[in-house]
Amino acid sequence: MTIDRLATIVRLRIRSLFQRDRVEHELDEELRYHIEQQTDLNIRLGMSPDAARYEALRAFGGVEYQKEVSRDRRGTRWLEELVGDLKFSIRALRRTPGFTLTVIVTLALGVGANTAIFSVVRGVLLKPLPHRHGERLLYLRQSGSGPGQQDINFSVPEVRDLRTRVPSFAGVAEFSSWSSILYEKSATQRLNVGLVTGNYFDVMGLAAEIGRTTGPQDDGVAAPPVAVLSHEFWITHYGANPGVVGTNITLDKHPVTVIGVLEPAPFFPDRVDALLNLVNSAHHLGASMQNQRSHRMTRVVARLTPTTTLERARSEVASVYASMLKQNPSDYPAASHYSIDVMTLKEALGHDAQLVLYLLMASAAFVLIVSASNVANLTLMRSVKREHELVVRAALGAGSARLRRLKLAENLILTTAGAAVGMLIARGGVKVLTAFAERYSPRASDIHLDGAVMVFTLAVAVALAIALSLFVSIPGDGGMAPRVMSGGQRAGGNSPARQRVQRGLVVVQVAVTVMLLAGAGLLTQTIIRLTRVDTGLRADPLTMRVTMLTGAEARDTNAVRAMRQKFEQIRTELAALPGVTAVGIGGWAPLRSSGMYFLAEAQGKPTAPGAASARAEVLSADPNFFMASGIPLLRGRAFTPADDDGNTVIVNKAFADRVFANEDAVGKRVGMKVEWRVDDTLQWATVGGVVGNTREAGSDGVHPTIFLPLRSLPILNPGIIIRADGRDAEMAKIAQAVVRKYSPTALIENVETVQQFRAETFAKQRLNAVLISSFSALAVLIAAVGIAGVLAFSVAARTTEIGIRMSLGADSGRVQRMILTEGASLVFVGGVLGVIGAIASTGALRGLLFGVSPRDPVTFVAVAAAMAIIGTIACWIPAVRAARIDPAIAMRA
Amino acid sequence: MSRPNDLVQGTLDLLVLKMLAFESMNGWSISQRLKDLSSDILQVSDGSLYPALHKLEQQGWIEAEWRQSPSNRRAKFYSLTTAGRRQLKLEANNWERLSRAISGIVALNPREA
Repeated sequence: MTIDRLATIVRLRIRSLFQRDRVEHELDEELRYHIEQQTDLNIRLGMSPDAARYEALRAFGGVEYQKEVSRDRRGTRWLEELVGDLKFSIRALRRTPGFTLTVIVTLALGVGANTAIFSVVRGVLLKPLPHRHGERLLYLRQSGSGPGQQDINFSVPEVRDLRTRVPSFAGVAEFSSWSSILYEKSATQRLNVGLVTGNYFDVMGLAAEIGRTTGPQDDGVAAPPVAVLSHEFWITHYGANPGVVGTNITLDKHPVTVIGVLEPAPFFPDRVDALLNLVNSAHHLGASMQNQRSHRMTRVVARLTPTTTLERARSEVASVYASMLKQNPSDYPAASHYSIDVMTLKEALGHDAQLVLYLLMASAAFVLIVSASNVANLTLMRSVKREHELVVRAALGAGSARLRRLKLAENLILTTAGAAVGMLIARGGVKVLTAFAERYSPRASDIHLDGAVMVFTLAVAVALAIALSLFVSIPGDGGMAPRVMSGGQRAGGNSPARQRVQRGLVVVQVAVTVMLLAGAGLLTQTIIRLTRVDTGLRADPLTMRVTMLTGAEARDTNAVRAMRQKFEQIRTELAALPGVTAVGIGGWAPLRSSGMYFLAEAQGKPTAPGAASARAEVLSADPNFFMASGIPLLRGRAFTPADDDGNTVIVNKAFADRVFANEDAVGKRVGMKVEWRVDDTLQWATVGGVVGNTREAGSDGVHPTIFLPLRSLPILNPGIIIRADGRDAEMAKIAQAVVRKYSPTALIENVETVQQFRAETFAKQRLNAVLISSFSALAVLIAAVGIAGVLAFSVAARTTEIGIRMSLGADSGRVQRMILTEGASLVFVGGVLGVIGAIASTGALRGLLFGVSPRDPVTFVAVAAAMAIIGTIACWIPAVRAARIDPAIAMRA
Repeated sequence: MSRPNDLVQGTLDLLVLKMLAFESMNGWSISQRLKDLSSDILQVSDGSLYPALHKLEQQGWIEAEWRQSPSNRRAKFYSLTTAGRRQLKLEANNWERLSRAISGIVALNPREA
């Protein structure tokens, strides 16, 4: 088709639409010209004027008919009719504001929930990564068997193998999560940083927004320390001041040059404030880290070459890894079952969020099913009331296709209005959900109600409109006559077919609501069980983490001695405060993990070759730690200052049971070595005492634990544990002031009680429960309204019948029972289906549950009972109304 | 006869395009010319010409213009566009092929078949 012709066609279509009067007038004039010319000709041929005109009209074949055909030829008719249909629908909907408002609000709730959740799913899981060719980025994960052994990182020799021996990798970069302390005149602050190899940005496909990123020249011990700020930190901390690039900042009391600001990008596994070259950490370029294969501290990202596939890379990595295991058997003990995973970075970024987001998406879809069913029922009832109107319209010549289209137009108006209001609801919801998603994924800042989300919402609205239109029966050509004859009145008002549809919709609503309730019940049980876990602590002390020295200063024995002295002074001063029972200092607070593990064995009972050694978490404590934390001493004694030499350890009950079985552990010797230092010899110490088990927050597992004397370890950021008689907020202020008095620049973090910390670790589970519970509450509400509405309609349609029954002797109690039974049977069937559906699907929740089985019978019974009660209440109102029907009035109606 | 017979209906477009290839004409003149040239064999109801004209116009094959008619009245004159000229050629060829094929079949001697 040529451009000219296309332009002509468009011009004519526009003219037909917007200059309709003129086009019509021209059509009129054209045809009149023809008739007049023909009439003149006929007169000239000898006819009388009247006969001539009659003959001309006859030959023409119906002026109005030809006009209609001509109008069809314009090709704009459907649009004109659509506009007409829409106008008509709006008028009709405005006449029934109650119906319209109910439908729009119901749909808005359902669509709003879906839009909000979808925007999160899109931002966190679906959107392509901002990295150049982000689809080629891989995240490598090494894991062992056992708790805490997922994603144990890689050692430098392992990375070297992967870098040189996997042909599918265009580049392999290292990233270690690290933290640095930023010292500024105004404040001291901990930064989350990543220590990266020079090629990191190149591999990741990220560029600097200002300045430069690192390159190979920034690797090695001789390179000056540099930092690339993350976009977010640059905005929040430096107010987007470009002047910061090129300046020196003080990290861990060392000058570091800011060389650039990175473009916005998500980081795995956590957000970072800055990325530093490896020289910033003496540890990372130390011999142990560079040469020890079991010293695993680095995360690995790799970029695929453009020509390879993920599958090929996977198989190459698998074979390289297999040969690594074979060549270094001592670094990969068989009992630990080491393995390697290759996943896309996008997958890794969404990994933790995936399950919970799909759960939310499914729940939102369920809410939409319930609300759409309700709307379908409302529409059905309305169409019964309008049956007469439809029949008359059909009788006057509206084709059934036209009536269907009218119905569709009406539904389109309702669903798009619902979607529009839903978008407003979603706007509010997205803010809440972003805060929620931040706990699951570093991509939460990618969540927006953008164009793609709007297209999604619009598609949902259109799909709903089409689905709703399918429910409405249109008077067809066949069934017309009898309906017209009966005046269209009640002909199909209570037809069995329609009742079946309505009841089916109620059953669906109840079933879906029961499934949602079951999910909400299980998640609520989870949070209840979590908070009820016995932590093993007999107190709720206030804790704070205090850092006075940097890693470099820790090698200065004078500085360390001064630090320890300050801590002791602080401890003594705090312990003397009124209301304070005990103050202790530990490696960190109770219920917190150190992330460090020993392999240990009892003297005289060496680990059999091939058997898994006892693995114990290593914590440290001063003489007052157990008392201050409320950890009970079961046997033996707590530490004394004399234990600082490190020859005495205290173990928890789990360790004593694991290593010494039925014997008394006190006084026995244990040999220990750091888990990854496989070649080291065992260090021996005597067990001084056994303390009670504590449970790490968020789990009911108990780790075997060895406590070392605090001063036997070079701990730079100990926790101060204050056991006092409540008034935590006040105590927190006083305690910080005391710390500042002795060390004005100290970094004070995590000032909170142990219970506050626990509550924070449950926040995810709590939010899961709250979100799913709100969805189910919404579904319950909508479903209850739906049940009541359908029954009320059924009562209204059966008024005459009920009147007859009552006049024949049925008392009002019997009528009430009849209606209640009708409603209750629907609720029962829906409930049974819902429980079956829940049993079939709650297995998907397993990963989100704690202390409760996905098929917990108590939850299911409770949920079914709740639904039954709510359903019965919903049935009650129409039943009572039915019982009040006056037979005399009913039969006249 | 109020409806054109089926053959004519299918080829009315072609006939109209052909008429307009010679000169621009108004609706009435086209109907007169059609009757004259086909010796009244093709009986098209006068009215059915107009939907055909409007369709051709909407498709961009012909264009319309209001002018004074010979009888000194305002009338709508149609003329062929460039695209229409190409379309005419196309349809004429099609017609040519179709009619040759049909004549060939119709002329068959039963014994030869």
